[in-house]
Amino acid sequence: MEHLIRREICEGVTYNSIVDDRFKIGRLSITLLVPLDRNTAAANALLSCVLTRSCKAYPDMTALNRKLNDLYGAVLYGVVRRIGEFQAITLAASGLEDCYALNGESVSSELAELLCDILFEPKMVDGHFDPEDVEQERRQLLEDIDAEYNDKRVYAVNRCIENMCREELFAVGRFGTREDVVNLTQEQLTAAWKNLLERAKVEIYRQGRDTSEKVFERFQAFFGGKPRRISGSTKIVTEVKEVKHIVETDEITQSKLVMGYRCAYPKTKREVVACALMSAILGGTPTSKLFANVREKQSLCYYCASRADTEKALLLIDSGVETANIQKAEEAVTEQVELLKKGRISEEEMAAAKLAVKNAYISALDSLTSVQAFYLQSILRSEPLSPEEAAELVETITKEEIVAIAESLRLDTVFSLIGNE
Amino acid sequence: MRMTALQDTRFDTPYYFLQHESGLRIYVYPLKGFRSTYAVIGTKFGSINASFIHNGKTVTVPDGTAHYLEHKLFESEEGDAFSQYAKTGASANAYTSFDNTCYLFSCTERFEESLEILLNLIQSPYFTPETVAKEQGIIGQEIKMYDDSPEWRVTMNLLQAMYQNHPINKDIAGTVETIAEITPEILYECYHSYYNLHNMVLCVAGKADPAAVEAMADRLLKPNEEVQTVSIFPEEPYEVKQAYVEQTLPVALPMMSMGFKEQAGQAYASDKELLCTSILLEAFAGEASVLYRQLLDEKLINGTFSTEYMEGLGYRAVIFEGETTDPDQLAACLKKAVAELHQNGIDADAFENAKRCVYGRMARNRDVPSSIATAMINAAFVGKQPFVSAQLLESITVEDVNERLRHQLDPDNCTVSVIKGIEGVTEA
Repeated sequence: MEHLIRREICEGVTYNSIVDDRFKIGRLSITLLVPLDRNTAAANALLSCVLTRSCKAYPDMTALNRKLNDLYGAVLYGVVRRIGEFQAITLAASGLEDCYALNGESVSSELAELLCDILFEPKMVDGHFDPEDVEQERRQLLEDIDAEYNDKRVYAVNRCIENMCREELFAVGRFGTREDVVNLTQEQLTAAWKNLLERAKVEIYRQGRDTSEKVFERFQAFFGGKPRRISGSTKIVTEVKEVKHIVETDEITQSKLVMGYRCAYPKTKREVVACALMSAILGGTPTSKLFANVREKQSLCYYCASRADTEKALLLIDSGVETANIQKAEEAVTEQVELLKKGRISEEEMAAAKLAVKNAYISALDSLTSVQAFYLQSILRSEPLSPEEAAELVETITKEEIVAIAESLRLDTVFSLIGNE
Repeated sequence: MRMTALQDTRFDTPYYFLQHESGLRIYVYPLKGFRSTYAVIGTKFGSINASFIHNGKTVTVPDGTAHYLEHKLFESEEGDAFSQYAKTGASANAYTSFDNTCYLFSCTERFEESLEILLNLIQSPYFTPETVAKEQGIIGQEIKMYDDSPEWRVTMNLLQAMYQNHPINKDIAGTVETIAEITPEILYECYHSYYNLHNMVLCVAGKADPAAVEAMADRLLKPNEEVQTVSIFPEEPYEVKQAYVEQTLPVALPMMSMGFKEQAGQAYASDKELLCTSILLEAFAGEASVLYRQLLDEKLINGTFSTEYMEGLGYRAVIFEGETTDPDQLAACLKKAVAELHQNGIDADAFENAKRCVYGRMARNRDVPSSIATAMINAAFVGKQPFVSAQLLESITVEDVNERLRHQLDPDNCTVSVIKGIEGVTEA
């Protein structure tokens, strides 16, 4: 099996390699983690776009894309995530393994160079990013933010979180606010880039057949001797004084109901896995309590699913409901949550959730992107949790451990997006 | 083992084929070292196959019947399939498209039990007036959800405006009104016409043992007598029905879909035609193209911009789609660029560049069990051998692509579909 080998370049900078010869496409990524901050969130988000657009060696976007096509349709992209109250900026490159190149090129080494170039050697004009590049990417990021309103399921979930966590940093969101993106200056963007390189916790993942030391050496040359320790922590709220009910209306046919719960922070790996199992039992599979009862038995909604965020200690239940049924659906969901808290979990429900969660963990091993994303989930923790380890833990988690977490669930916010029938 | 070993030559990987005695065609593509298996079984019965001749009798069923049947086959006398799969841990699903219906699962253990569920599922129809009636509420909700989806609406409106008669212009799920007409008898009629194993294909990819799949098929497949079912399609003129269609929905950013309708007879596009189109579209409008850059610089597109080639019996179209602040301007630019493309053709550099990209994309798909299985089933549905294009790619020339262009992207035969925001809401 493919093993993760972790090498520390310096404090806070780790080079992870997983030698894996199963795939035709290899992957290299670097994740920079910083505390979520209202003042820098937008800048970091925009950086992930600007950096992947050009670099000193390929100052023109079209030239860079042509180069990627020449490398057999290699892909270079940036992703921004919110993990607890931290922001993770990932730059990733994936491309053909050398043995499949048609003319003996070394795609993997050229691509690794490119990824380092876009981060370490960006295109600068008078000490700042090229204003034209910045304006293009700013416009597109703003359109991305606006478009979150187009998908009403996504929009409703976002609005629930914003309302639920309005007193917390978590509400800032992974892109920062629209206003911040609009007002971002060249100086702020440059400062954010320098800050990421100097202060962020860094996790590099090399996945594929490549075993040469060249890539490690390039990162070592840059980060070596630049230790960092990120500060900050995620605020965990476990008590709710009063449940917030937020209602919005819109011109839609199917209404949306999103219920946000607080839960105790899962400290250990066992608790993290127990939390995932709890969510699976409640609303993570087609035989879960919510799906089987609220959708199938009571026909109250088209979808009704739960997902747990173990780093912010939240559980969200979202559903698509006919407007006339919205109150009934809320009651039905509440009823299922109460049953869960009381430990009313059948052996079938328990077994099905374990099989489904294990299946999801082991399946992740068949995709390099999924493997890296899985490890990212434990980036805030002292030790990484691997998909295999998580799958093994699933087997040993008891009903009591699941109920212990379920008992901590507290309804915080109910967000409804009501259609005009 | 009766399975025949074939070769995905370009990627040096063997895969297996069996024409099973029951009528079912079976493909297995093992991926070394993989932990998961993806299995899909499907029939060539989609939303466009609502009129057909079965045993000499002409039948027309309500719009949305194929999709409704998919929902109903997902349950048997023993309960719905989800609860059966819950006992094996497989993640299961089903989907209905314009021209096929597929049932699938993905698992990491207990593959044989899950395959048994899958094969039993499609061989044991169980429809009663009660169970059929019960589904109307859930499918009604599904239809409403799609009504709210700008991505879905922009494409469906496009097809409705492009096609005058062909049933591709109808929503896959039908409407609340049409599904109200569906009865157990109609479902049985469709089942017996299309869910005959001679009309079906099973594909397995990932962690897989062809001999085990064969043994399971021998044990579980009931022999089927071949039936003759022929779908009927109305005559479709070359010309689009209308040049423009728009709808208002609560969106912050408008969406545009532009389709260039082509001549399409009663045959599928060949592998060579499809390859040439892929290269053509990549060179013309891919991220490395002059056009893509121009549209970005003019602030007319963003990362959602995409190109697609859609084809089947009686329909072929190139579709450009994406969010845009100015749908009219984007459509005008695309139309102008298409006209210029016909004058100048694709140049040799852009061709080579796009060709390498297309090859890389094939490699990328070979890493994903679901993509491999889907590629196999789609090829089998149209009577092609899978994975031929990876071999063929080498031989494609820039002249081939420019020749292909002559039959595509007619600037005088296109439709623009737009989703606009609601006044006052877009500023949210």
